[in-house]
Amino acid sequence: MSKETLDIQTNSGRGYWRSLDDLAQSSEFQARLEREFPSEAAELRDPVTRRSFLKLMGASMALSTLAGCQFAIKQPQEVIVPYVRQPEQVIPGRSLYYATSMTVQGFGIGLLAESHEGRPTKVEGNPDHGASLGGSDAWIQASILTMYDPDRSQQVLNAGKPSTWADAAAALAAAAKSAGNGIRILSEPNASPSLGAAIAALTSTYAGTKWVQYDPISGDNAVDGATQALGAATNVVYAFN
Amino acid sequence: MAQVFNRRTNTIVRLGIFVGVPVILALLTATWWYYTRSDWVRDVGVAHAKVQPAGNIPGAGGYSHQLHVGGLKLDCRYCHTGVEISSNANIPPTETCMGCHAQILPKSTKLEYIRNSYEKDEPVQWNKVNDLPKFVYFNHSIHVAKGVGCSTCHGNIASMAVVYKTEALYMSWCLNCHRAPEKFLRPQSEIFNTAWTPPADQIAQGLKLKKDLNIRTSSQLTNCSICHR
Repeated sequence: MSKETLDIQTNSGRGYWRSLDDLAQSSEFQARLEREFPSEAAELRDPVTRRSFLKLMGASMALSTLAGCQFAIKQPQEVIVPYVRQPEQVIPGRSLYYATSMTVQGFGIGLLAESHEGRPTKVEGNPDHGASLGGSDAWIQASILTMYDPDRSQQVLNAGKPSTWADAAAALAAAAKSAGNGIRILSEPNASPSLGAAIAALTSTYAGTKWVQYDPISGDNAVDGATQALGAATNVVYAFN
Repeated sequence: MAQVFNRRTNTIVRLGIFVGVPVILALLTATWWYYTRSDWVRDVGVAHAKVQPAGNIPGAGGYSHQLHVGGLKLDCRYCHTGVEISSNANIPPTETCMGCHAQILPKSTKLEYIRNSYEKDEPVQWNKVNDLPKFVYFNHSIHVAKGVGCSTCHGNIASMAVVYKTEALYMSWCLNCHRAPEKFLRPQSEIFNTAWTPPADQIAQGLKLKKDLNIRTSSQLTNCSICHR
């Protein structure tokens, strides 16, 4: 038998009560009486609690949405900004299609990019490309977003801080001539012959230079396996007949 | 017991019902019409509000269609090159202006903003006159190809020193023509004639053009997705 039940049975105090807790004069009830306000009430007066934070955020979001509305009676005045020198083939209002390619796991995929006055808006496979015949995949479809990704690197960075190409060249030249191990180039896998030739020229000039290619989701293990089995680095193409 | 209301009260109440209520309703309707449906709210005919070019460049001479089209008889397509092939009848690049003005009036102070734009590679900005809402798809090339002339929507541009709106571009106005194109169609030779007026037998001519140009039926032309895509 709990203390409260015992108290009720043995209590001989005042004859009225508002609840069993009151009757038993339980410690919880006493504490609540003394506190006057419920425990959450303290948050109302504290300006930085989660609850008031959400309240303020909700209100400010609603207001910022309103600020986007036009309360003007007339349409706002817009301006037309034409080219100074209109590039050949560009017709405002019509899209242009460019054959291009994108590196996926080291291999260039032939693509067709739709462009509106210089802004790419859609990427599809190039129908004239022998490997895809116009096909594409989720990666290619999503790649258009990388064009407008605010996290896309816009400039030369040195240890996360903005720098210039001149500074980068100076630092690289100093590193190449120092007594250390020379330069390391870290990149995604890339099969571009031009980039390969450029890096080969660098490697032959500065003997310590190494080019490291890294892809977090690579097919390297499959190539290693094929090398062990067949004696040469090979891409396996299955023939399901 | 004394009368609470005297005899005159009847007249006052009748006046209130038969005059006051209609007057209030009429005022409300007029206000609604004025702010949503009138030519005023869409700036029709207002030339002074659209100072060209935008940005109040001191000394800039603007551009006069009256001089270039009315006086010198330039074809619309000399500058608005996209009108027959694109949705957009483009504003010409500065290069087009300089094509002539490198030789004609090369020292004019009124044209300094054009030369500045060309030298500094900074575009001249022009105030938009006919501004359709962004949810409306409008294609110039199809209208020009199907017998709708410039002046049907833009008015007699050749007479305007500063271009102003001649139509409020309300949807009901678009539908006037999409429901009965024959009232507005003109022969292909007259498309860029800014002073074209419909002939006496316009309906007959229009119906013939409608047939010759394979213009769709009015039920097809008034399909929502023709303009709202």
